[in-house]
Amino acid sequence: MTSDAVMPPADAPDRQEVRAAARVAEIEAVLGDPGDPVNPVGYARLLEADEAGELLAAGEKALDELGLNAEFVPVAEGGRLERIDSLVRILRQVFRRDVALGLGYGVTSFMASVNVWTAGDDRQRERLAGILLGGGRASVAYHELAHGNDFVRNEFEARQQGDGGFLLHGTKQVINNAGRADAWLLFSRTSDAPGSRSHSVLMVERSETDARRLRILPRYETVGVRGCQLSGLDFDQAPVPEQALVGGLGRGVELALRSFQITRSAVPGMALGAADTSLRTVVSFALGRKLYRRSVMDIPHARATLGGAFLDLLTSDSLSLVATRAVHLLPEETSVYASAVKYLVPKLLTETMYELSIVLGARFYVREGEFGIFQKHIRDLPVLSLGHAGSAACQATIIPQLPRLARRSWFQGEPAPDELFQLRTDLPEIPFQRLTLASGRDSVSCALVAAVASLPDGTPTEVALQSLALRLMDELRQLQEQSLELSLEDRTALASPASFALVDRYTVVLAGASVLGVWRQAQALGDDRFLADPAWAAAALHRLVRRLGYQPAPLPAGCEEQVHQELLRRYEERHSFDLYDTPLAG
Amino acid sequence: MNAITTNNAAPSHTAESLSVWLVDRIAVYLKRTPAEIDPSVPLAEYGLDSVAALSLCGDIEEDFDLVLEPTVAWDYPTVEALAGHLLEEFANQAGPAR
Repeated sequence: MTSDAVMPPADAPDRQEVRAAARVAEIEAVLGDPGDPVNPVGYARLLEADEAGELLAAGEKALDELGLNAEFVPVAEGGRLERIDSLVRILRQVFRRDVALGLGYGVTSFMASVNVWTAGDDRQRERLAGILLGGGRASVAYHELAHGNDFVRNEFEARQQGDGGFLLHGTKQVINNAGRADAWLLFSRTSDAPGSRSHSVLMVERSETDARRLRILPRYETVGVRGCQLSGLDFDQAPVPEQALVGGLGRGVELALRSFQITRSAVPGMALGAADTSLRTVVSFALGRKLYRRSVMDIPHARATLGGAFLDLLTSDSLSLVATRAVHLLPEETSVYASAVKYLVPKLLTETMYELSIVLGARFYVREGEFGIFQKHIRDLPVLSLGHAGSAACQATIIPQLPRLARRSWFQGEPAPDELFQLRTDLPEIPFQRLTLASGRDSVSCALVAAVASLPDGTPTEVALQSLALRLMDELRQLQEQSLELSLEDRTALASPASFALVDRYTVVLAGASVLGVWRQAQALGDDRFLADPAWAAAALHRLVRRLGYQPAPLPAGCEEQVHQELLRRYEERHSFDLYDTPLAG
Repeated sequence: MNAITTNNAAPSHTAESLSVWLVDRIAVYLKRTPAEIDPSVPLAEYGLDSVAALSLCGDIEEDFDLVLEPTVAWDYPTVEALAGHLLEEFANQAGPAR
């Protein structure tokens, strides 16, 4: 598809960045100004498609023409996937218009294909790359309603036969694109024994499946992402060849937990685009509407809410950046960061949307017109906390790791490398094979501890930032003590609510460490004036520290104003509200 | 930080002492009494989930100063099998040239 798919030579730094930025600009140009009422892929048409329960055909066509599927296929397999953080940025442009299109057109295929890039053999890689690059879809069928996130109890069966092949039997439910995918990645029981070695992942192509032995189940009606085609698969003793097996027999749980690390890291950051649009919509409302003889933007509560939403986006993007770059730089540690992102970012964004809805008032309940996209995004966003690992399942992944992190890593490990926090620096290839289930290391928190020792304290904002960072470090100290005290039964999926609360606070500390890291690197590189200034970092940390239940001293005068002015500038210049300050089509 | 320290007490471990240690731990995870845990029955049959199995691995690492694959309790699914594997690991990790 592309001819420039080679690693950059040593004398051309950040070539990956050039490619990513160009791709983002290309997608913006093709999809156009979403607010334009005559744009065939604008909000007006997207809302109509949503009302009709369809994915917008013009949107799918535009993404076909853009060859978006190539983003999900590694460069080595002929696609354009080289970095997870870049993939997030690229998909964010789709999600800011329509979460359903982002999931239904693309991310489902990505979630499915990660299993093959992680553990598939040459033939499977080639087949799947061929399907995706040819414009086809892959679907990831893990879910069975009866078992939720407890997928080790899954019953869908792939019984191995004497010739090595498998007989598929059973049902998968609420599967995106089940009915129109060209290949399914099926999480299947391959042994009757209980435990975590009794499941395997199979890649089954529609073209090699006996149609008489497969029934596509009816669509599910959903609250949000109404255009997504969520249905199910019902196989009746359908034979598939031995070569369908992805990775080893009995390696399904492990493969799933490794693949999840990439998808959990990536998807919440993509959805940030929808929150960007929502904030943009409410800024537009606040600037235009007059109440009490002034614009809504001049009402202190509304103004503070919008500034807070902007900070939530920057904070979410910082954590997302760290988790996605960790896949490349710290694959052994990714299990914790991926679950932290998947837990905290959807929660932050959902809360932000609620706050924004209060400013929008009654208009947030209207399904059409200038502000109609807001109610769609507010319905669509919660799907992120549901699909492939609910919030509690993400917390449960972290809980058992807390005592080890407390004992072996926090306050004693090496800090994360600077590159982890840099937005645009080149990264090594995705080391799919090096993702591990648990590592006992957390160098992001160690970077927070290391940074605290050397923070500047010249200006009032720097002093505020330093004291907020100290507070976060203090919180980490408390987390350490409480994690060491966790009883054995409080380290499992059935742990007491207190363990889950501990994870909640830990993810807030990780978010703060990410913000601090991004600010420090922006300052060191000097390539972004706003990010290099401590004002946003202090304001973001202030919010996080308050979230933890503390009452820090008020921020210095001007700190919040600076954030507010940046929000207005980006709104007026049509730039994104994330870390990248990307020019948008509208 | 990550160095593997040789456990001087290693030679004193036996299959029996390790089994007793494992049964005690697992009983706490499963909220049962140690007498209820049969060393030859797969732990998953008692309801030890995959996450708890990863936790168990962390406990072993802490108490015995061993570094293990996190999936060790998946691959050695009974107390018997796990104790046997730990004995081998002690022998390997205490041995020279690792």
